[in-house]
Amino acid sequence: MTSPAAVWDDVVVGGGHNGLVCAAYLARAGRRVLVLERRPVVGGAAVTEEVFPGFRFSVFSYVVSLLRPEIIRDLDLPGHGLHIVPLESTFNPLPDGDYLATWADPDATRRELYRHSPRDADAYLEFGRLMQRMAMAVKPLLSVSPPDPASWRPRDLLAMGRLARHFRGLGERDLHALVKLMTMSSADYLAEWFESEPLKAAKSASGIIGTFLGPRSPGTAYVLLHHYMGEIDGVFRAWGFARGGTGAVSDAIASAARSFGAEIRTDAPVRQVLVENGRAAGVVLDDGEEIRARAVISGLDPRRTFLELVEPAELPDELVEAVRRFRFRGSSGKVNLALSEPPDFTALPGDGPHLRGAIAIAPGVDYLERAYDDAKYGEFSRRPFLDIVIPSLIDPGMAPPGKHVMSIFVQYAPYHRNGGWDDRSREAFGDAVIDTLAEYAPNVRSAILHRQVITPADIETVTGLSEGNIFQGELALSQLFFLRPAPAWAGHTTPIRGYYQCGSGTHPGGGVMGASGHLAARAVLAQGGGRW
Amino acid sequence: MVSGGRRDVVVIGSGIEELVAALELAQAGLGVTVLEPGEVPGGQAASEEILPGFRIDPVHPDAGHLPPAIVNGLGLARHGLAELRPDPVLAAPAAGGEPLVLWRDPQATRASIARRSPRDAERWMGFAGRIASFSGILEAVAMRPPARPAGPLREMLPYFGVGRRIRSLGRSRMIELLRVLPLPAYDLLDDCFENDLLKGALGALSVRGVFQGPRSPGTSLALLHRQVGSPAGTFGPRTVVRGGVGALAAALTAAAKERGVQVRCGAEVAAIEVEEGRAVGVSLDGGEVIAAGWVLSGADPARTFLDLTGARHLDPDFVHAVRQIRFRGGYVRVHLALAEAPRFEGLDVEPQGSLVIAPELDAVERAYDDAKHGRMSGRPVLEARIPSLADPSVAPSGRHVMSIDARFVPLGDHPAPEPDLAGAMGDRVVELLAEHAPNLPGAILERRVLTPADLETRYRLTRGDPHHGELALDQLLFMRPVPGWGRYGTPIEGLYLCGPGTHPAGAVTGVSGRLAAAAILARRG
Repeated sequence: MTSPAAVWDDVVVGGGHNGLVCAAYLARAGRRVLVLERRPVVGGAAVTEEVFPGFRFSVFSYVVSLLRPEIIRDLDLPGHGLHIVPLESTFNPLPDGDYLATWADPDATRRELYRHSPRDADAYLEFGRLMQRMAMAVKPLLSVSPPDPASWRPRDLLAMGRLARHFRGLGERDLHALVKLMTMSSADYLAEWFESEPLKAAKSASGIIGTFLGPRSPGTAYVLLHHYMGEIDGVFRAWGFARGGTGAVSDAIASAARSFGAEIRTDAPVRQVLVENGRAAGVVLDDGEEIRARAVISGLDPRRTFLELVEPAELPDELVEAVRRFRFRGSSGKVNLALSEPPDFTALPGDGPHLRGAIAIAPGVDYLERAYDDAKYGEFSRRPFLDIVIPSLIDPGMAPPGKHVMSIFVQYAPYHRNGGWDDRSREAFGDAVIDTLAEYAPNVRSAILHRQVITPADIETVTGLSEGNIFQGELALSQLFFLRPAPAWAGHTTPIRGYYQCGSGTHPGGGVMGASGHLAARAVLAQGGGRW
Repeated sequence: MVSGGRRDVVVIGSGIEELVAALELAQAGLGVTVLEPGEVPGGQAASEEILPGFRIDPVHPDAGHLPPAIVNGLGLARHGLAELRPDPVLAAPAAGGEPLVLWRDPQATRASIARRSPRDAERWMGFAGRIASFSGILEAVAMRPPARPAGPLREMLPYFGVGRRIRSLGRSRMIELLRVLPLPAYDLLDDCFENDLLKGALGALSVRGVFQGPRSPGTSLALLHRQVGSPAGTFGPRTVVRGGVGALAAALTAAAKERGVQVRCGAEVAAIEVEEGRAVGVSLDGGEVIAAGWVLSGADPARTFLDLTGARHLDPDFVHAVRQIRFRGGYVRVHLALAEAPRFEGLDVEPQGSLVIAPELDAVERAYDDAKHGRMSGRPVLEARIPSLADPSVAPSGRHVMSIDARFVPLGDHPAPEPDLAGAMGDRVVELLAEHAPNLPGAILERRVLTPADLETRYRLTRGDPHHGELALDQLLFMRPVPGWGRYGTPIEGLYLCGPGTHPAGAVTGVSGRLAAAAILARRG
């Protein structure tokens, strides 16, 4: 039974990177696909914009790491202009004037770590190998839609059996290591490996990114692994920039989608999904235009997908309740700076490879924990964790000659700030960030030509991400795998026939990974995409 | 110097779990000797007097969940064991307002909550039922030796029953269980309730056994763990027996002696004797050696392996794993002998059960924040009992004893712990209580504070942790005490472990002793 007016096979709501990936795979399978994006640019939170004349910023998401290699291959993204430049070093200036760095050359890294702790320098290699094995152990989960653990359907039981066999197959040693990684705090986990405070702090910082937890909260070690899962050209733990900024990733995927015949419309905000007789029949735009399709795939977050685009009355109460309980609580902000000169760090003065890698202000586990304490009680961190990159040093096209752009990811900035966010609190937040950075690189203050401060409230307003959560919902243990976004509906389907979900609020979620979009496309194709 | 001839089993320690194990082994016909370093049997479960006639349980707030099967199976009633049912189960004084009171009768609890929040009262039964059914699953798990997920399938067989039970919860509760296990208690309570006092009181119960605040994942599990065996809605003390935990130890000792178990006090074990990878007995402080076919240790795993066995007998990886166990005391226990019962403002019933002082969830979180950063809590969270209200046998007529768990104090590895932690924390606890019971400071006849350092010295508890290892998600089941060694055996043939450092981590009293005894008997064939 098909609707006579149907023109499109699939309409994808939201042109974020997952929506675009989903559209590309569907179009590649020969379907007629339309992507509708509310903003004038595609990419969602993965956009490059010229915020100040001549200065181009990866406004929100700023590094590429998790993008699945099979997606890069399947969609031939390099052929569509994607060029990733690796970030080869990390640099953490410390309050005592020293620093901790890791370099492209493993021997140099070893010597640097040895300076802080000979024991840690040895442990570091073994730690890296274990993380690699753990990432391999978890990797297969990224490419399956989670089964429903409460179901008796043979398909689900089989999938559960396969999972059990996979984990048993890891062997006792790795299985134990994985259990620890899934349940411990990053601080405790790292304390089992390392003794040097700067190293523990630098590593545990990657366990808190995007969460509303501190490094001492159980469950953060898993996030640490999540950040190890990035792979570029098959190399684990490789981070990079896209030349032209993160928007270039979205542009390449969009270009691939178009090459397969997908159509992408910008400035086309979707008001609601049409549901007729319990099945999706298309969408209605804000201006009232009705677009009919056999399948509708939402790339928006679960709250918008289930509570805004459709009438909750169309859904089982249990699902509505689960989505209402799904936690967003954005915890991070961004400060983008246009600079007249690069920062000059007291700990390592002048130019050098350390400016071309990832720079973090995370001098101690307690420092991070205090930053979290502020957020727990509804304030932004007075001394926040900063994750900094200077893309213009690697990709000069991002700024006018001799000038630079700096991207600062800031945690914590709670969405639910006491008294809410307004212009004054936004600027106060920006000041706290600059004050923190200036303690390590005093020249920054006078080098600032322009600054853009983005609070979680701004993230929500601009990108539509509920509560400004960059992962479309916290990556907490209670919101992963078959619980993401809701039990029984973790397989990218919904209770409304022909309505699917492809955002990072679904498994595996988080980061510019594309896996959710890919899995959703598979789910659409597996069900015949509404052709029944 | 070898004395007394060879025993079948020598048991290190005479705590509840060790005594249960000794009884079970003796019942199977083995010759068992229990070694207690102190002067009376019971170890950390033995009660003591802080003033003549004022008896306290120094370490344990209650007897845990003591299943009737253990009481009946070991004939403890014959040895004087009597269970009490204090009611109300919990009272939470509020600053300048009416205290929150939870009763054994769910309807009475509902009415009490309704005076603060009709919406919360509406949701109470659902919440209590949900927690009870989840704790029921935990109880079923607690009764079985943990299966190793990568181990032989036969270890899994006993879990089919648990699996069926989980399935029988029905689809939505089953999924809810999966969601709740790693959930912060803060979220669990906040999803359900609006009243701060109710959430604060339950939040305070969720940080027992962990060094975390309620915003940390794993604290819901700590709440479920604590509720194992408790009927729906009874959030208070678990099993309470006349005379306190010390009376339970005494009854077990009497039963054990009756079965021919030798209980030797003043016998401090210096080392577990190992020959060719097999435990062959123990040596005592004075040099005496007791040869035995089996050694069962109720000491915590760090003490058992690092101090008593010695790393030289163990694989370095195993030693490394033992060193990684997180022992986290993190609280003090304050005991008071009182000339009169404290009178809590606005409370018109006797608080026979737990008294909790935690005005809101953030108060619990802040108490943890302080300790996390190396300070004792400015306003510690208190969970107290006045056992003499329901059990006059523990204090002279008209007088009372009160014991308070005060959370948190910094872990020992912080650089500058309070020089007089016991004094400072004792004062703070009394000040806090006085805010709600002004007559209390004047009624104090004697005060005794046990800090983690005291517990370490007195009871050889590593880092003063009476739980023998934090009740963290990664230190449970087959991961407790160390990954892969959750089934009571150890890498040393003939050496077995019991106690809260092993499964089920103190969730059900006597179970680790019983399962350890069963493991020995199974190995013996």
